[in-house]
Amino acid sequence: MANWAGRAWPPSTADLGLLLLRAAETFAIALVGTTLAGILALASCTLAARNITTNGFLRLPTRWFLNTLRGIDSFVFAILFVAAVGLGPFAGVLGVALHTWGSMAKLFAETIEDMPAGPLDAARLTGASRVKVVSYALVPDALPGLSSIALYMLEFNVRTSTVLGIVGAGGIGLELKNSLDLLNFPRLATVILIILAMVTLVDQISARLRRHLG
Amino acid sequence: MSPSSSIRVAGLGYTYPGYAVPALAEVSFEVAPGEVVAVLGPSGAGKTTLFRCLTQLVDPDEGTVELAGRRPAELDGRELRLARREVGLIFQQFNLVRRLTAQGNVLAGRLGHLSTWRVLLRRFPAADRELAGVCLARVGLSDQADQRADRLSGGQQQRVAIARVLAQQSSLVLADEPVASLDPETATSVLDILRDVARERDITVLSSLHQIDLATRFADRVLGLRAGRLVVDKPAEAFDDTDYGLIFASPTPAPPSGTPA
Repeated sequence: MANWAGRAWPPSTADLGLLLLRAAETFAIALVGTTLAGILALASCTLAARNITTNGFLRLPTRWFLNTLRGIDSFVFAILFVAAVGLGPFAGVLGVALHTWGSMAKLFAETIEDMPAGPLDAARLTGASRVKVVSYALVPDALPGLSSIALYMLEFNVRTSTVLGIVGAGGIGLELKNSLDLLNFPRLATVILIILAMVTLVDQISARLRRHLG
Repeated sequence: MSPSSSIRVAGLGYTYPGYAVPALAEVSFEVAPGEVVAVLGPSGAGKTTLFRCLTQLVDPDEGTVELAGRRPAELDGRELRLARREVGLIFQQFNLVRRLTAQGNVLAGRLGHLSTWRVLLRRFPAADRELAGVCLARVGLSDQADQRADRLSGGQQQRVAIARVLAQQSSLVLADEPVASLDPETATSVLDILRDVARERDITVLSSLHQIDLATRFADRVLGLRAGRLVVDKPAEAFDDTDYGLIFASPTPAPPSGTPA
């Protein structure tokens, strides 16, 4: 290991442009995947929340479905989608989106269940339908909590997306694998440094945004 | 007097699951249109249960509730929503959407009247926005229209809730302990506003209160609840010490003075 580390210094700058492009692709996979998941989670979370959907015949199957999505890792989904839709970032986006949908909707539903009942009752008792109650009386108060969860999932997915390339689902993971296969340690060092820088940057920005919510 | 703007409660009874003693028993009364009525009683007398029955948050074991000529318990779906539109509610905890502005919360009174897409896109008709402004002005909060609800004081929040009810334009308002969370001075001024707007617009009001001086100042008529039963029903100006005793006196004689606490 020390031998490898010694041979990796100094990191190579030969393919820097390409590697940065791959890193951007990784971030894009995480961003697009998380955004898709966020839209799907917003649409489905109220069906899984006990205080909004009192009907168990609707709520429980929704929960089972979301738990199944959550139970299958993005990486596993990515392997399946590489087989189904071919190599490339699209498979990665689908993998990230499906797993994150399950996780995010569950966290969204738990946040919604913790909201005080009073404002929802007040809106419902003005004669508003469920969609109106959720959109007008629930969303404004729940939004900071939900946004915080979405940002946290984005941080998590940027880390997940760095390895998706190993199975051919796009991003910088492909370069990680190539460099290792070719025993090109200076290039490997560059890849790892880029990943570290990107993950740190995203975590910092996201943490700062989350502090400003609420 | 049209029968479509009154309360008619007949033989109402409810026992919470797991309790032997009913929270409400054989409660019957009627409220005429435009009447302002206080429901008075100590904690645990059944005031909140009565309001929960009136708003269908609790399904009574016995008896019927008729609000503005309709029986909500027999309605569902769209018909229930239309019936609810005609009944404004005021709550002890105000129940405003905390992160919406005062104006936004008043507009919530219009939710039952607007199409879903307008609510989703927050596209309120000019007439509704104007109405919200008038209602806010009526409770003296025009200058706070753009203030977020959670930045307002308790008294201001309850005034926003009154404006919300006004914007709903219902002929009947139910208020469950509307001033129990407010200091005495604020409580008096909030109740005065509620009574005045009720008089101006001929709105029927039924409000639970637990202080006699507030109840007799506020209402035309006082209903007294004790241990889930209606024990007093008379005009506010005729309310006397005997009625007070019926509602509040402890069932066992008070200990003689001088007894160590």
